[in-house]
Amino acid sequence: MGRPSTFRQYRTLLAKDLRQEFRTREMLMSMGIYALLVIIVYGAALALTANGLDIMHMGGGLLWVLIVFTSLLGLGRSFAHEKEQGCMEGVLLAPLDRSVIFLAKATSNMLFMFLVEVIAVPLFYFFFMSGQPVAPTFAAIVAPLLVGTIGMAGIGTMLSTITMNTRSKDVMLAVLFIPLIYPLLSACVTATTAAIAGAELWTDLFVMPLVLACGYDVVMLLVCWVLYDFVVSA
Amino acid sequence: MKKGMVKVPEAGQWPDKLAIPALATGAVLTTAGFLAAFLLVAPVNGAELESPELVGDVMVTHQQLLSQKIFYFHMPVAIVSFVLLAFGAYYGVRFLTTREARFDTCSRVAMELTLLFVVFTMITGDLWTRFEWGVWWTWDPRLTTYLILMLIVIAYFVMRNAVDDPELRATYASVVSVIAFVDVPICFMVTRLIPSSVHPVVTREGGMSPDMALAVMLVMAGMMLVAFGLYRLRFRQARLAERLQALKDQLDD
Amino acid sequence: MNAVEAKELSKAFGTRKALDGVSFDLPEGAFLSIFGPNGAGKTTLLKLLSTLARPTGGQARVGGIDLKEEPDKARELIGVISHQSMLYPDLTAEENLALYAELYGVADPKARAVELLEAVGLSHRRLDPVRTFSRGMTQRISIARALVHDPAVVFLDEPYSGLDPHAVDIFDSLIEAARGDRTFIMVSHDIAKGFGMCTHALVLARGRVVTFAPPRRARLRRVRPTLPRDRRHGGGVDGPPFYLPAIPHAAR
Repeated sequence: MGRPSTFRQYRTLLAKDLRQEFRTREMLMSMGIYALLVIIVYGAALALTANGLDIMHMGGGLLWVLIVFTSLLGLGRSFAHEKEQGCMEGVLLAPLDRSVIFLAKATSNMLFMFLVEVIAVPLFYFFFMSGQPVAPTFAAIVAPLLVGTIGMAGIGTMLSTITMNTRSKDVMLAVLFIPLIYPLLSACVTATTAAIAGAELWTDLFVMPLVLACGYDVVMLLVCWVLYDFVVSA
Repeated sequence: MKKGMVKVPEAGQWPDKLAIPALATGAVLTTAGFLAAFLLVAPVNGAELESPELVGDVMVTHQQLLSQKIFYFHMPVAIVSFVLLAFGAYYGVRFLTTREARFDTCSRVAMELTLLFVVFTMITGDLWTRFEWGVWWTWDPRLTTYLILMLIVIAYFVMRNAVDDPELRATYASVVSVIAFVDVPICFMVTRLIPSSVHPVVTREGGMSPDMALAVMLVMAGMMLVAFGLYRLRFRQARLAERLQALKDQLDD
Repeated sequence: MNAVEAKELSKAFGTRKALDGVSFDLPEGAFLSIFGPNGAGKTTLLKLLSTLARPTGGQARVGGIDLKEEPDKARELIGVISHQSMLYPDLTAEENLALYAELYGVADPKARAVELLEAVGLSHRRLDPVRTFSRGMTQRISIARALVHDPAVVFLDEPYSGLDPHAVDIFDSLIEAARGDRTFIMVSHDIAKGFGMCTHALVLARGRVVTFAPPRRARLRRVRPTLPRDRRHGGGVDGPPFYLPAIPHAAR
C-alpha cells in the first residue's frame, strides 16, 4: 500500500475541494453575487462624486473593501462541508501531515478568491473608472492583488478552521479576520492606489508596501503552518 | 511539569505574597515619576511664538506644552501592555506544548490585563493627539497599531466566549494569542513605513534628556509592578474560581 | 499479539477527567463492546484510540504501534465508522471512496472504490452524489469508506443511530462479512446489540474501567436483571437472509 507522497495527498485534497465547488458552485455563486451587490451599493454611495480624480484616489480602497468582504463570505463557507458530515475527522484519520490539510484548503480558497477577483475587478473598472484616462501603470495592480489574496487566504483558512467550531461562526470570523489582516490590507491598498493613480514617483508608494505585504504573507503563513496541527487535534 | 522548563508558581504560592507590596510600590513609583514629570522636567517646546515672552522668570520663544506630560504616562503604559501581550503569547505556547489548563488561565489573565492597559494607552494616546496635534483621531502609526491591538484582544475574548468545550477554547485562545503577538509588530512596521501622502507620519525624534528618562523609568517600573501585582491577584482569583467550579462538578456527580 | 493495548490511558483538562487510567489488552480478531452511561468517556476513549485526540497520560498501541510515537503508521491500521458518514455529500459514492483510498495510498483507488461498492451492494448507484442516498445506504458506504485501506482494527462509534431495523440488519451482515481476522471496538447505546456481537466487553463509568472481560463474566458481575433481554436483532430475521460477498482485501 505504501504511504503516498505529501504532494500527492495535497493534490488529492485540493482536487476534492475544486471538484465539489465546481459541481455545486455554491461558494463562487454567492461570492460573485455579493461582489456585484457591493458594486451596486458603491454606485449609490458614489453618486455625487463627479470628480474623476476622486475615484482614482479612492478606487484602490473601494476595491479592497469589496475583496475583503467577498473573501470573508467565501472563507466562512469553506469549512461548511467539512463540518457537516464529519468529513474533517475522516481526513484527519488518514495518515497525512496536518499542514497538508491547511495548505490544500488555503490553496482552494485562494483560487476561488482569484476567480471572483477576475470577474469583480473588471466590473469595478467598467462601472467606476471606464470614463477616466487610464494610468499606464494600471496593470501593476495585479501584484498587490496577488500578494493580498495569498495572505488573506492563508490566515483566513486558519481562522475559519477555528471559527468552524464556535457559535455564530460568521460574525466570529469577521471579528478575528479584519483586525488581523489590517497590516496587509493597509499595505495592499496603498500599493493598489499608487498603481491606479500612477502619478510621478508612483514606485515610492508601490514597492515598499508590496515588500511589506510579502513579508506579512511569509510570516503569517509560517505561523499558521506551524500552529495548524494544534488547531485540528485537540 | 517537564524538566528544564521554568516552573511557573501556582496560585497561592510565594509570588502571591508579593502581589500587594508590588501593587503598593508600583503605585508609589508611578506617583513619584508623575510628580517628577511635572516638577523636575523642563517643559518641551511646542510651536514657535510670534515674539519671545516672559513666562515665570524665563524668556521663552516657543509655546510651552503641558500636554506633553501625558507622555510620561502614555509611553510606559503602552510598553507594559505590549509586554503583557508577550506574556499572553508565551503562556499560549506553553499551553500548546503542555496542554495544562493552568497555562491557559495564565494566558487569559495576561490578555485581560493587556486589554486594560491597551485601553489606558488608547485614552492617553487620544488625549495626546487632541492636545498635541489638535485632532481627536489621526491614523498615526502608534495609535493605529494600538487600535488594532485593542480590537484583536477584544476579538480574543469574544472568541473565547463562543467556544463551549474548555480544551478547545484554550487551544484556540492560545493560537489566537500567538498570532496576535506576531501581528502587532508587523502592524506597527507597516503603518510606520508606508509613506502616506494624506496623513504625514508624525514622529518627534531626538532622544530624551536624562531627567525625562528618569521620570519615564520611574513610571515604567511602577507600571510593571502594578501589572505584576494585578496579574497575581487576578490569577489567584481565577484559579480559585476554577477550583470552586470543580468542587461543584464533583458534588453534582 | 494484541491488536489494541491501552495502558493507564488518561485524558484530563484541568480538574475535569474524561478518562482516568484506562487499561486493557484486546487480542486480535476480538469484538469489544464498550458500555457506560453518558459522559463515561466512551467516545473520548475511541477518539484517543483512533488518534483524533492526544492522551494526557498513559500509552496506547494499535497493532503493536505506539499511537504517540508513530501516529501515521497507526492510522494506516485504523478504520472508523461513526454516526456521521464522513462523506462529502456533493461527490459521488465512487469519488468519495476513491478520495479516501488515495489519501491512504491504496494502489488503484478507482478500482478499490468500485470493488468496495460492489461488496456493500451499491455498485448500481456508484455515480450518484451521496446527498441523494438514504441514511441506510450512506451508512453502507461509510463501512466501505472505513475499510478502504483494509484496516486491522475498526472502531464503530454509535453506528446504529438513525438506522431503521432493515438497515440495521444489512449493516450487521456487512460487519459480519468484514470480520475476518479484523478487530472491532464498538460504542453503542443499544445494549442488546452490543452483547449480541461482542467477544469482549468493557464497562466504563466516570472515565474509569468498571469491568473488562469476556461478556459472560461481565454480565455476571455488572448487568442487573432489569436489562432488556429481548432479542430484537439477535434472533431470526423475517424474510430471506441478506446475502453479501465477503469484503475483499486491498491490494498492497
